Amino acid sequence: MATDTDGPIGGGETETERDRSGNAVVNWMENLSEAAYAYLLLLPAFALLTLIAFYPLIMTFIMSLREDRTRGAEPLGGFVGIDNYVDILTGNARVARQFMDISVSASFPFLELGVPLLQQALFVTLGFAVISVFFETVIGFGQAYVLDQDFRGRRWVRVAIILPWAVPIVIQGMIFFLLFQPEVGFGSDLMQWLGIFGPNPLADSQDAFIIILVADIWKSAAFMALLILAGLQSVDRSLYDVARVAGASPWQRFKMITLPLVMPALLVAMLFRTMDAMRVYGLIESTAGCTTVPSLTCLVVEAMFGGTRIFATAAAVAFATALVIGLIISVYVFFFRDTEGGLY
Amino acid sequence: MFDDNDSAREDDGVRGTDGDGDDNGDSDGVPEHWKRTREMTDGGQPADESRSGILTEDTEAELDRGPFQQWVADSISNPERVYRSMFYTATIFFLFTTLFPFYWLLMVALTPEGQQQDIILTPNGFNPGAFIEVFQVLPFHWYMFNSFVIATASTILVLVIGSLAGYAFGRLEFPGKTPLMLLVLIISFFPPAAFFIPLNDLFNTSFFLLEPITGDGTLYNTPGAMVLPLSAIFMPLAIFILTTFYAQIPDGLEDAARVEGTTRLGALFRVIIPLSAPGVATAGVLTFIAVYNEFFFSFLMTDGQPENWAPILEGILGYQGQYEVMYHLMAASSIIGVIPVAILVIVAQEKIVSGLTAGALKE
Repeated sequence: MATDTDGPIGGGETETERDRSGNAVVNWMENLSEAAYAYLLLLPAFALLTLIAFYPLIMTFIMSLREDRTRGAEPLGGFVGIDNYVDILTGNARVARQFMDISVSASFPFLELGVPLLQQALFVTLGFAVISVFFETVIGFGQAYVLDQDFRGRRWVRVAIILPWAVPIVIQGMIFFLLFQPEVGFGSDLMQWLGIFGPNPLADSQDAFIIILVADIWKSAAFMALLILAGLQSVDRSLYDVARVAGASPWQRFKMITLPLVMPALLVAMLFRTMDAMRVYGLIESTAGCTTVPSLTCLVVEAMFGGTRIFATAAAVAFATALVIGLIISVYVFFFRDTEGGLY
Repeated sequence: MFDDNDSAREDDGVRGTDGDGDDNGDSDGVPEHWKRTREMTDGGQPADESRSGILTEDTEAELDRGPFQQWVADSISNPERVYRSMFYTATIFFLFTTLFPFYWLLMVALTPEGQQQDIILTPNGFNPGAFIEVFQVLPFHWYMFNSFVIATASTILVLVIGSLAGYAFGRLEFPGKTPLMLLVLIISFFPPAAFFIPLNDLFNTSFFLLEPITGDGTLYNTPGAMVLPLSAIFMPLAIFILTTFYAQIPDGLEDAARVEGTTRLGALFRVIIPLSAPGVATAGVLTFIAVYNEFFFSFLMTDGQPENWAPILEGILGYQGQYEVMYHLMAASSIIGVIPVAILVIVAQEKIVSGLTAGALKE
């Protein structure tokens, strides 16, 4: 960050002096070195990011190292190191739903669940991210493949398929809330008739988890389709002609040409989606509610606004979430580092 | 420009199908074992059918065929047919799954209050008045206006600041470029909640400078409380897109403008940005939609009152009253809320796709 501010001072010699009739600021700017000019241009962006992102992150981190103080005027107590993190990892945090709650036991399978898996935020969120990203990738690829073909009315089919991506989260939540609200929607009746859901799916952890998955796949497959379509469109068409002359079947054309060339775009799309899915909150809040499906962000919000004043724990959960997301990204980068084109 | 592109692609398609016809004509001249491998590899989905079809054709070629057998035989002689029908099935399936929720929502909105049970394909009764009632029960237009102002302001802020940063990252060489770029991207790791507590404190702190503007000197309950964090959160993506676009403009064009006597900033705003119009449009549309759709800060940064700049989200959730739940108004307001972004998608979808194709995903 320091480079931003002291950059402009360092420059000023490399460009030839231009004697122009402009005002002093313009002249000063013209005479900056390339590096100094770059830092000057970056200054507004980093000023905003520092105020809104970096400063709050540092404050949150410091907060997460302090003690919760539920009484008295000051909500934070003394410095306790990583105690808050230890508490949330061992299921001892004072939150309504635990981050994770697993202990080692003597008998098979050597792990003991404190509460059911779907009431542990880490596993709810991880499960949600893995399952939703998987289906979104598969469906999004299918959609993108359809949209990449030439046919009459392609423009409108494309609009229709991309549309869910542009729907505000609260409206997405509202649609699926209404669909599965027993008083209004037929979704609840239908799923009960199929024997999959209980009588009130939005209040049941497992049923609500499935509803939220479906809602997310409905919206985000379109986002995947958009990014994959962009990748598909940059594939050189003449490659397909060559393959066709060589007698490759459509499946072979897909496997040998499309997939490898789209892989970088696909990975970027999956990475973006995974990060987003790990932060799921609005969808849950506007359908089933955070008590039924506790995601990691839900946990933070409830700890913060639940009236229990456990701000330090909330901060620790927020940071732990970021660490989990960071870990997942490293996994992506590690496993796909050899992919042609790379991740970045 | 995009229409040209489209028609060119359509021509391609026509040539493609012609090519297929030739293919099949040629395939008779191809050695027998080639054909067999082709049929085997083809058989992704319709494998069983085509195999039984082969037998039928070989042994009973003279017999009359039923319509299904005819179809199978045609499919074998022309495998593209199978793929085409699979393609149409997939298209119809995708169209149904994406559009049905909207259709159903419209049916709920059209059903008079209190009769919302068991709506599937048709509304129970017909009450288009819900779309007017929405504005009477709550000042929904006010919430929409707030959302528009917030999304527009954030988009402009992101594009201006992001353009400066994108120019620096894309066209200038300076020490610390990669670390700074990573620093920008790292923001996307964190859940919005991780920013929230200090930001909430910050926005509730009274600043002397702000007093003439906001009254009590705090940013809470002003558009600034949403524009600032939302701009910061969605700026990394915009910087990323703009960087790749600006980097692609040939140096010669900028040099020419500079020789003509344009200032450095002038070259950016008069040469680089106009030449990268598709990229700027992509970044702008993506930012607008992202801000309009955002949940976390929109939900928590105001007290939910329209006069305090609460966005559309609070309006839609507002029909879930304390004593009654107005399902038909929830549905109607949801439809109204989707319309602006739907129009944006209709107008800008070609630009978004070509913008992403040309820039962001290449690197």
